[in-house]
Amino acid sequence: MNSRFDATTTTTCGYCGVGCRLDAHRVGGRIMSISPALDGPANKGHTCVKGRFAHQFTRSRDRLTAPLVRESGGFRLASWEEAIDRIADAFGRIKAEHGPDAIAGLASSRATNEDCYVMQRMMRAAVGTHNIDNCSRVCHSPTSWALRRSFGMSGATGSFDDIEAADVGLIIGANPTQGHPVVGARIKQAAIKGLKLITADPRRIELADYGQLHLGIRPGTNAALLNGLAHVVIRDGLVNESFVAERTEGYDAVAELVEAYTPEAVEEITSVPAADLVAAAHLYARSERGSILWGLGVTEHRYGSECVRLICNLALLTGNVGRPGAALLPLRGQNNVQGSSDHGALPDTFTDYRHVSDEEVASSFEARWGVTMKREPGMKIPEMFDAAVEGRLRAMFIFGEDVAQTDPNTEHVVHALESLDFLVCQDIFENETTKFADVILPASSFLEKTGTFTNAERRVQLVQAANDPPGAAKTDFEILTTVSRALGHEMGYDTPSDVMDEIAELTPRYAGISHARIGRRGLQWPVAPDGTDTPILYEREFELPGGRAQFAALPYKPPGDQADEEFPLILVTGRRLEHYNAGTMTRRTGNLTLMSSDSLEVHPDDAAALGVQDGETVTLRSRRGQVQLPVQITPRIEPGHVFTAFHFPEVRTNLLIGPSADVNTSCPEYKVVAVAVEPAGDRVGEPVGAGAATA
Amino acid sequence: MRLEIDGQPVEVEPGATILEAAQAAGRYVPTLCFDDRMAPFGACRVCMVSMEGGAAPVAACTTLCRDDMKVQTEEATARRIAAATVELVLSELPEPPAEHTELATVARYFKIGEPRWQGERRRPAHDRRHPYLALQHELCISCGRCVRACDEVQGAFALTATGRGFHSGITAGLDSGFVDSTCVSCGACADTCPTDAITEHSLLELASEYTGEEGGTP
Repeated sequence: MNSRFDATTTTTCGYCGVGCRLDAHRVGGRIMSISPALDGPANKGHTCVKGRFAHQFTRSRDRLTAPLVRESGGFRLASWEEAIDRIADAFGRIKAEHGPDAIAGLASSRATNEDCYVMQRMMRAAVGTHNIDNCSRVCHSPTSWALRRSFGMSGATGSFDDIEAADVGLIIGANPTQGHPVVGARIKQAAIKGLKLITADPRRIELADYGQLHLGIRPGTNAALLNGLAHVVIRDGLVNESFVAERTEGYDAVAELVEAYTPEAVEEITSVPAADLVAAAHLYARSERGSILWGLGVTEHRYGSECVRLICNLALLTGNVGRPGAALLPLRGQNNVQGSSDHGALPDTFTDYRHVSDEEVASSFEARWGVTMKREPGMKIPEMFDAAVEGRLRAMFIFGEDVAQTDPNTEHVVHALESLDFLVCQDIFENETTKFADVILPASSFLEKTGTFTNAERRVQLVQAANDPPGAAKTDFEILTTVSRALGHEMGYDTPSDVMDEIAELTPRYAGISHARIGRRGLQWPVAPDGTDTPILYEREFELPGGRAQFAALPYKPPGDQADEEFPLILVTGRRLEHYNAGTMTRRTGNLTLMSSDSLEVHPDDAAALGVQDGETVTLRSRRGQVQLPVQITPRIEPGHVFTAFHFPEVRTNLLIGPSADVNTSCPEYKVVAVAVEPAGDRVGEPVGAGAATA
Repeated sequence: MRLEIDGQPVEVEPGATILEAAQAAGRYVPTLCFDDRMAPFGACRVCMVSMEGGAAPVAACTTLCRDDMKVQTEEATARRIAAATVELVLSELPEPPAEHTELATVARYFKIGEPRWQGERRRPAHDRRHPYLALQHELCISCGRCVRACDEVQGAFALTATGRGFHSGITAGLDSGFVDSTCVSCGACADTCPTDAITEHSLLELASEYTGEEGGTP
């Protein structure tokens, strides 16, 4: 039927963590169209404005098509040999003078599992340091941390199919119809067919209109809300006693702690009406099959990791885990947030979150790679920037991440990048970070490479090249293995499939995974040696000592930033449907026509008090910096709060974000920033902040 | 339950349609308004089949299986009804459907060439305001797939059937075009359309051998 095309390749979408399976249709050297694969387990023949249409960026004239090296203040084109020689020379010199821990690498949650694994092997075996991290640090590291402590494994307990199987769904701190559109559509359809939804968010998200209850929560107070829900469940006798007795530990401490979280006390903290809290607790606890979904509105807080443990508490109290329709589903932001961390691109763990100090595990990798490694973890991303500013870190290899645009406390990041002796960037476009590079390596987009992504359901799915990288650009697999060879460590792989074979060999929970076996349906880890995968975790026992889940008694603590007289409003940041993260991809497509600039959402009451009109440009100021953007007046945001996204470099939202971060994982507190809004008046268009509009 | 499709025994779950049973038996039944991502609609009358002892042909997509049913997918009356329906649809179009479309596939199946009925044909009316989606009203056959995809797959409720008889078609929003409607640009409508009445600009460019790069930094 599709004889119009020269070739059709089924692959996995490279935008969000839903993991839609796509058919990419090529004519000549051009991807002409993308349609959903009808048998995609997560998307079931559907996709969104990004996955289906936003592929023009792959043939943008801005693509990096040859290596660039720094010369007399600018960049010039270079051969691959010269670029890689420069890296080998600089890393060799810095390693000799300052030791291997003066070098750090960032892998990418946009890249494949195989790319991330190769990157961490390169840092650990070729450079000799555990200084390897990835951008899940700044989004879902708190989820991973908490799920491991409450249940034992770092991933969703079920699948997206649990959405249709559930009778009640609780969505906290996520806006799926914008951030994860295909799952958003599945939730909406399920709600139309009878799924009872409860939404908790400072914004009245679209799905709230399809739900039973919307809890308009004050940002940074999730812990109080969750402890309040637990209070009502216990107070009103809705605890699943047998589940708690047989499968959990630590209930008494939780019961004691949440006694103080009466609905009235919680209303004081969260501004959620006491009656709504009680109704929400009853709805969830009385469900046959209750599922909880959450996003970065839970994690990107000072106590984000603790809040994820409180979500787990709620599921444990009611026995809503380990059954169809009773799942905990973190909505992963990027296509491979799950996989990049699963595959050891973290400073403290090898594959499957096994600690670098675990003697047996560490020696298995040492034997396979023929090296010896330290048993102490390396630096996390924020520690790398601090170390760079202090001169302890001299070089970085940044793969597929624009830290100068996307990380918080932008001025500090820029200072860190300027302080480095040597910076390598491997990317598909020049960006804010490559401005500081010494060598820029032209890489491949998700449509030009082969490997696997792991979606938010722990589903490992094949990524297959639908096109060639442009010009002299190469696949990330080829680049990283070549750099490693130049650094003196030959990895010995012919294809990314060989990488997955090594992962399976060294990782018991991946024992049955191979590219050949993944096929069109994917495999949800853990995968047994015979290839049996695991759609639902913890059906019989948890992966903790004694097979029991752990409750966590954790009190509400106020967020790192608070509104005050000078900064009276709270800024929440998030994603828009049409664009994706730093916008480097979607801004180079027709999606820019659909949404060409950003705005600041302001409640009508606040707009009246501030004396600003719809469309008027305002200055948004925090303790850290300021940006200018137009106002959009909407009742969908709670009074006292403002919202904007982070997709446009001309609005460098992250200039406003301070150093406050999750206490356990260093995930930045993007979601609570005290700000002041004032009419820009005559200063419209005047450059503001360190990184005024440059694009 | 057990039944026979063209003499071949097949076992299905209660609630299965004849179309599902035929597919399970590996028999091709042509369809136009059917898409398994949405609930069966039964509007196009192209999937007509006959049952032994049945009063008249039925639509396979909306008729449930019964035990011991004997279905013929290529019975002459059913086939004549379906073919005439497709021929009527084709007779309204300004030109034959593009080769790759489902409508063209169905027309080939029934071996329909130039329609016997000549008369007024729909006139080209295009809406190309959306950056990706192209609307070619003259190709719309009112199968309702796009409207149902928008409602039942995405849930944007942006498309509506409008007009009567020869002038029936679909519209986005209140005739506002996709961008100014509640459309979220998911493309489910273009994906399901069997005639290219809704398609992508890039696919229309295929004929003009488009080459070159695009979409640089704004």
